[in-house]
Amino acid sequence: MISLAGRDILHAWGKFVFTGIGLGLLIGVTLVMAGVYRGMIDDAMVLLDNSGADLWVVQKDTQGPYAESSSLYDDTWRGVAVMPGVASATDITYLTMQVRATNHGEPRDVRAMVVGIAPDGPGSAGWPPYLVAGRQITRSHYEAVADIASGFKLGDTLQIRRNRYTVVGLTRRMVSSNGDPMVFIPLKDAQQAQFLKDNEAILQQRRRTAGNPAFNRPGVPGLLDAVIASQSVNNYVNAVLVRIKPGYTADEVAAPIRRWKRLTVFTRAQMQDILVNKLIATASRQIGMFMVILAIVSAAIVAFIIYTLTMDKIREIAVLKLIGTRNRTIAAMIMQQALALGLIGFAVGKITATFAAPLFPKFVLLMPGDSIAGFFAVMVICALASMVAIRMALKVDPAEAIGG
Amino acid sequence: MRFFAINRRTLLLLAVLAPLLLLLGYVALRTGPLAAVPVTVTRVENRSIRPALFGIGTVQARYDFSIGPTVSGRVLRVNVHVGDTVKAGQVLGAMDPVDLDQRIQAQQAAIGSAEAQLRQALTQRDFASSQLARYARLLPTHVISEEVVATRRQDLQVAEDGERAARNALRGARATLAALEAQRGNLDLIAPVHGLITARDADPGTTVVAGAPVIEMIDPNSFWIDTRFDQLSATGLAAAQPASIVLRSRANQPYAGEVLRVDPLADSVTEETLAKIRFKHLPQPLPPIGELADVTVTLPALPARPTVPNASLQRVDGKLGGWRVEGDKLQFVAVKVLGSDLNGQVQVDGLKAGERVVLYSQRTLGAHSNISVVDHIPGVSP
Amino acid sequence: MVAQGIRIEGLKKRYGSGDTAVDALKGVDMQVEPGEVVGLVGPSGSGKSTLLKCLGAVIDPTAGRMTLGDAVIYDQGWKARDLRALRRDKIGFVFQAPYLIPFLDVTDNVALLPMLAGRPNAESRSRALELLTALDVQHRAKAMPAQLSGGEQQRVAIARGLVNHPPVILADEPTAPLDSVRALAVIRILGDMARRYQTAIIVVTHDEKIIPTFKRVYHIRDGVTHEEAGEGRSFD
Repeated sequence: MISLAGRDILHAWGKFVFTGIGLGLLIGVTLVMAGVYRGMIDDAMVLLDNSGADLWVVQKDTQGPYAESSSLYDDTWRGVAVMPGVASATDITYLTMQVRATNHGEPRDVRAMVVGIAPDGPGSAGWPPYLVAGRQITRSHYEAVADIASGFKLGDTLQIRRNRYTVVGLTRRMVSSNGDPMVFIPLKDAQQAQFLKDNEAILQQRRRTAGNPAFNRPGVPGLLDAVIASQSVNNYVNAVLVRIKPGYTADEVAAPIRRWKRLTVFTRAQMQDILVNKLIATASRQIGMFMVILAIVSAAIVAFIIYTLTMDKIREIAVLKLIGTRNRTIAAMIMQQALALGLIGFAVGKITATFAAPLFPKFVLLMPGDSIAGFFAVMVICALASMVAIRMALKVDPAEAIGG
Repeated sequence: MRFFAINRRTLLLLAVLAPLLLLLGYVALRTGPLAAVPVTVTRVENRSIRPALFGIGTVQARYDFSIGPTVSGRVLRVNVHVGDTVKAGQVLGAMDPVDLDQRIQAQQAAIGSAEAQLRQALTQRDFASSQLARYARLLPTHVISEEVVATRRQDLQVAEDGERAARNALRGARATLAALEAQRGNLDLIAPVHGLITARDADPGTTVVAGAPVIEMIDPNSFWIDTRFDQLSATGLAAAQPASIVLRSRANQPYAGEVLRVDPLADSVTEETLAKIRFKHLPQPLPPIGELADVTVTLPALPARPTVPNASLQRVDGKLGGWRVEGDKLQFVAVKVLGSDLNGQVQVDGLKAGERVVLYSQRTLGAHSNISVVDHIPGVSP
Repeated sequence: MVAQGIRIEGLKKRYGSGDTAVDALKGVDMQVEPGEVVGLVGPSGSGKSTLLKCLGAVIDPTAGRMTLGDAVIYDQGWKARDLRALRRDKIGFVFQAPYLIPFLDVTDNVALLPMLAGRPNAESRSRALELLTALDVQHRAKAMPAQLSGGEQQRVAIARGLVNHPPVILADEPTAPLDSVRALAVIRILGDMARRYQTAIIVVTHDEKIIPTFKRVYHIRDGVTHEEAGEGRSFD
């Protein structure tokens, strides 16, 4: 038996391989798009996983702390910690802001999510669960752990608001749901960064307070100082992270906190819903649509390529039919070529996608499931596209081979 | 069955396709979620560590004084400026006496008047006394009547009472003068100790209420750092422990100090323990009050025990511990933390010296993770 | 292969129906014996292409009877079950242009049909080589068609037509693009092949150069043939 498809490919291998590469790049782009979509979802999941929490306690009637701003007093955790089923309750603050590095070359401004972690030690809720370099924070002020996506290195000095922090540890894949790298600093410093204003604003506020006769009474020395001191206090946090004791379910522990503490509590499933369905819904829908368009375009191009390849051979196909080649044989030749093209295209696409993925600014997650689904999709599209070409081929009248 | 002729063309095609297949295989196996997780490991060592506590504080003076009037009035004079060194008893300023000087004069006049009254009373008494003596001598001669003598006796008594009254009036006037003079003295603002002037709160001409400070001063020998330690990292804080003080404006120059006392009252709102740290030798020049300082208190060294870097500690299923590496396999070992120092070394109970634990990993680890031990995590250049 | 020969009786072909019907063939009679090479000559529009297509089982005649050896393949309707098998096994084609498959080498172009039919590759190829040798192109056995001259390609095409040893070969203007030397060479080869393999060969042509070589010639005009004796000139 002879493989007509194989011989044809061998004969015109350059054209075939180039076509395969072109198709492969298109498939690669589609795979990368799928990876971007998955990466966005993964950013959200990673955020929830890395916080190490089972429940998020936030300001009542907010969707915080990631989707909306939420403010709680920083002693709220005490009331939560004694609720039944709570193994630990930890304060945490989140603030997305520009962080400046002042070491190692020119100053650099990076957009980061600054996380304030309570000094409970490694392994606590909110702390980075694992590091890729350095160590965890040991001092209660002026130390930081940064994600490598920020570009900071060990020993860099970061400037956040008024204070300087030394980078003592590095993490990987600690990002906000937007893909911004995280920088972990001690909670008290983060509270100051978030709620305490800069010097100019503080001076203005002091002037205004001093000018207010209610606060600046001559008969009450010390009143003005007391008022100004109270304005400089910053005892808010964004959320309390709760870990649950074994043997309790999330809803079991969340319900009493909601009822008796007049706070809003989200379980892991609810947080996932908020992040995926509300926060990144629009962006991910956008990417999803783009991916579908890409897939359709790819399918159309594959079909066109295979059709053209077949039409190039239409004379030979007529001759083959005339000399007695079975329809089955001709159809098999076209189908095999289409599948071979699909294989080459998929291989090129997968390789391109894998090497291109790390170059993107945000995380691109290429899942094996997607690749396998992509492989089958490519094969099916090639097979279907070849049907069109096969129909054309079989409709050719062998009599055309005989001249008039 | 001969599928393809083995000729140059086939070889060329294979030369193009074979690398493609190899790359595909590499990509499938080595990258993505199927690939092994690169980890670095470290050995557990028996080590003695010196735990230390880190807090931030502000430079304060132990004794600071607010000097001001005890009655409302106007400031007359302020003799000193911020930064002046003063001696104990030095007059720093004065309040406006208003009418006090005049009242003193009036009182002095009143005293003169009382003295004159006393002299008058004395004269009257002497006269009455001598009169009584004369008539008493005349009584046995029956030249005068008993009644006359009695009258003279009564005169003497009246005169003696008058003298007593005058004497008391004089004493009273003198006491009032002393009081006014004391008040007058009170208008001077006096330095209670040797010290340094830190604030001039009111300039001459300002009206201040009683108790409002006009001048503030401190005793510079009583400088200390009012330090706050987070309660979670204040274990073992006690008096007399050595401390290293780094002032914010002199970051490269640590000063030696020691813990003077740990305050019995902690700050329950900010959840911090307060302590006072003393300089062993006062820094020259003196740091300004209110400057921030970082304080590191060194605790006694702990005995040598199994120690790991704190990057090895993770929490899995609610338990704190590390991933022990045995050949290719991972096993999570729960530990108890016995002590830690500021460099991230943690003494634990649960691991033995010589065992290897995961230090850094590229991804989250689980009990079934496929790991490959490397020298450093790819993609990270510390 | 049992010698067969072909006989056609009263073959009619009508295109279209009703008022626009065209009778391309109005009753054609032909007979070719095994080993014979006959010419089919006629001007364009005379129906010779239609006749060829009917003979090649490419189109359906309207009426008539065709017999291949003892087997009736058409009698007012196709009697042969599988037309493609008929074309593959019983009828060989030689076209005006060689129409070789460009991505198969010369040997495989010739050996294609038997290989597709399931014959072992080695046997098919050796049979192909045999034919190529007979046609004196065996030195090009491994070349690709694009590397051959026109004449060599034509000879390979003839070999392809012969490879299944069909009882009938239909040659459609095989010499049209060739000069007189080559044209006569092709006709000589056809004659040789016919004799060697006892094939009946019908050559459709209007090439004046080769018509004198036929022993018998069928003239076709307006859908009807009549036979004439040819000159039968041979060229050595």
